[in-house]
Amino acid sequence: MNIEQTLKDAEQFLAPWCKETFHPEVNRLDVAIQVDDLRAAVGALLAARWGYLSAVTGTDLGIEVGQLEALYHFCNGPAITSLRIHLPRESDACLPSIADIIPSASFFERELQEMLGFAFSGSKVSERLFLPDDWPEKVYPLRADFSIEQAAPVAGRRADELPEQGVVGGNTFVIPIGPQHPALKEPGHFEFTVDGEIVTAAKMRLGYAHRGIEKAAESRNWIQNLYLFERICGICSHTHAMAYSLGVEKLAQVEAPPRAQAIRELIAGLERVHSHLLWLGVAAHEAGFDTLFMYSWRDRETVMNLLEQITGNRVNYSANVLGGVKCDIGAEQAKAVKEGLTYLETRIRHYLEVVTTDAMFLNRTRGIGTISRDEAEKFGLLGPTARASGLSRDVRLEAPYGAYHHFPVSLVMETNGDLEARCVVRLKELLVSCFTMRTIVDNLPEGPLTTRMPRKIPAGETVSRIEAPRGELFYYIKSKGGENPARVHIRTPSLCNWVSVLEKAVGHQLADVPMLIAGMDPCFSCNDRVVTVNRPSTNETWSWKQLREYGIEFYKR
Amino acid sequence: MNTLTPLITLLIFPAGLTLILVGMFYEWVDRKLVARFQNRIGPRWFQPFADAVKLFAKEQITPAIVNPYLFFGLPVAALAGALTSALYVPLMGLTPASNFPGDLIVTIYLLSLPTMCVGLAGWNNSGRFSLIGATRTLTQLFAYEAPFLLALLGPALVAGSWQINTINRFTQDHWLILTQPVGFIVALIGLMGKLELPPFDAPEAETEIVAGALTEYSGRGLAMFKIGKSVELIVGLCLVASFYLGGLNGVPSFLFKTLILLLGMTMLQSLLTRLRIDQTVGLWWRFGAILVLAQLLVIILVKGFLP
Repeated sequence: MNIEQTLKDAEQFLAPWCKETFHPEVNRLDVAIQVDDLRAAVGALLAARWGYLSAVTGTDLGIEVGQLEALYHFCNGPAITSLRIHLPRESDACLPSIADIIPSASFFERELQEMLGFAFSGSKVSERLFLPDDWPEKVYPLRADFSIEQAAPVAGRRADELPEQGVVGGNTFVIPIGPQHPALKEPGHFEFTVDGEIVTAAKMRLGYAHRGIEKAAESRNWIQNLYLFERICGICSHTHAMAYSLGVEKLAQVEAPPRAQAIRELIAGLERVHSHLLWLGVAAHEAGFDTLFMYSWRDRETVMNLLEQITGNRVNYSANVLGGVKCDIGAEQAKAVKEGLTYLETRIRHYLEVVTTDAMFLNRTRGIGTISRDEAEKFGLLGPTARASGLSRDVRLEAPYGAYHHFPVSLVMETNGDLEARCVVRLKELLVSCFTMRTIVDNLPEGPLTTRMPRKIPAGETVSRIEAPRGELFYYIKSKGGENPARVHIRTPSLCNWVSVLEKAVGHQLADVPMLIAGMDPCFSCNDRVVTVNRPSTNETWSWKQLREYGIEFYKR
Repeated sequence: MNTLTPLITLLIFPAGLTLILVGMFYEWVDRKLVARFQNRIGPRWFQPFADAVKLFAKEQITPAIVNPYLFFGLPVAALAGALTSALYVPLMGLTPASNFPGDLIVTIYLLSLPTMCVGLAGWNNSGRFSLIGATRTLTQLFAYEAPFLLALLGPALVAGSWQINTINRFTQDHWLILTQPVGFIVALIGLMGKLELPPFDAPEAETEIVAGALTEYSGRGLAMFKIGKSVELIVGLCLVASFYLGGLNGVPSFLFKTLILLLGMTMLQSLLTRLRIDQTVGLWWRFGAILVLAQLLVIILVKGFLP
């Protein structure tokens, strides 16, 4: 099915509500609709099974325009349809919530609500997901007129002063997991209500380490932002930088040379190995199988050393520049990569055997947290978690980007949908990646590494999608033709997968919960991208300058 | 002199201080071996001792909600129970410090005391992690206690005595591991359950309930529980080795046999994934208890019909 036909179909489905249509890019259809028609339009796309809701981007169009804009992006293969809705900035008008039709939309809606002040009718959730509890009411950090002075903490709403809910009644009580808990070394907070050992309700809270990256991006130039986005995540730093570079290159109508594209894919592959081996270790640890944890992390060192040898860095590789890559693969690196891959392949095969045959480990994974294909589709799952449930979502195949045209990967899918299937999918995916990486090293195209990029990027907006180790990573980049982006919206795969954890935890044993959380490979740094720096002792908001000074002073000692 | 000898026996050698130090040594062996199996370096030889010193020196935080008598008393009771149980077993391969007919039952009960104390301590704290940990600790107690007891009854039946010393002397000529392999395996795995070692560490599964029943404990209380556990390890190893591995008749045989057992335990620890609490209970009652009962039946029949 070609892109034009797919987009035409979407146009037909949306015809009754459509006010205006645009084609901002070849693969995109942009349909302006009225607020009240949103539910009907979304319903029509769902009924026609046209793609899935990938992200909801909110933008403040500025005080002069006086409007907020919401973009509901639906992806179907390479084709993207965006429903564009405008709302007046200062009014009580609100968007109808679609969380009851598409569960994962609840997270997108809450993001819009807290960051931009969209109101949603019919939304059940009133608690905050991202912003701190002491954040003042009606202050929205992503609005154009936001200033840091507005964000002074409100007295009496400190998170640690909120009443602790202990025993709920009878045998039921609430088990908090995080933000400080040995199961989660990352800042998320879950509340599981348990009756004995059985979980009866689940709730979550994010935003303990929001860094305001989307906002910060608006005040930095295109090149600075590359390094900023790379720091969103310590595990998939390369994919973030790559998604951003590809997006900006698309806007500037520049294409990175083939050699650079191939090297990007190679590093993305190595990063996937790094990420999945790390995940395997964490999952094993959550299940109480520390030996597997230690071994998989030892082998992860191999791939980290390779990355260091190629790029000079072990975590934030900083391999990308706008218009190409910084590092070349010489004969020496190629040899090292191939040797490393040979070792890793034998180890990965071994782990594959362990996770499918070790009876004790299977006790904890087989048949646990099973998500059927229909549920996966309903929850809007992405990446390996979706592929373990038989849902073939892989941007590398659906909408190949960069060098994936020349060095394709094959689809890895399992149908059981339980934790075992998620282990198997991830490990098999690594074998595929290893194979592709070997091909890349052997057939690296000759040519330059970079191409020239303009300093100012032409006005326009683009969507850049990439398959990160955890699933589809979505970048929406908007330029007004200046040196800075006008808006960058990032939707990370973890955010889409949360719904499944919360829904699936209910009815499971408490002992399975850490495994369920780990099963989707959550990445908290992916989720936390917003605004303030809180020093827990005094709980004050710092400006960027203060923070910098503090940092400089801190390291002087 | 008459009063001095028992005092030395109780406080310094072989029970008391020596026992605690040997317990720490065994804990180190356990940790080191598991670490080596897991491709890690592992702690240095004095680490358990350093841990204990550090914990004793640290502040003990008492939660506002607890009953202070229980909070301070339970660790003492746990340690006391473990140390007392050492009186009746052939520690270091020497004759037990005290023995009387039926001391096997007393020892087994004393060995359960630390677990009961941990359960009570968790209940007393009424923190959420502690409560769930306590529930799991006690659930697990009911799971392994009966099979463990039955597994130790096998040798007692064969030896025709309920006195550990007598059984120990009997087994020195009979390697019961050969005739009662099922009992040996159940006893060894039961000991792992008793000590809440992986895969039976659901009561203190850190990824779910932090440290289980002992979550609120710090300083001295935690140290005493930990030392109690090391002592329990020694006593338990001692019992299993003397019952199944040809008895203990001297320091070398004690060290050799118990360390071999410990090696087996560390291997199991690093090979197996943690069981959920329902799986633990299922395992013990569906397999452990039934297998041991079958073996007991065979022993009784053989003893009855083939004199």
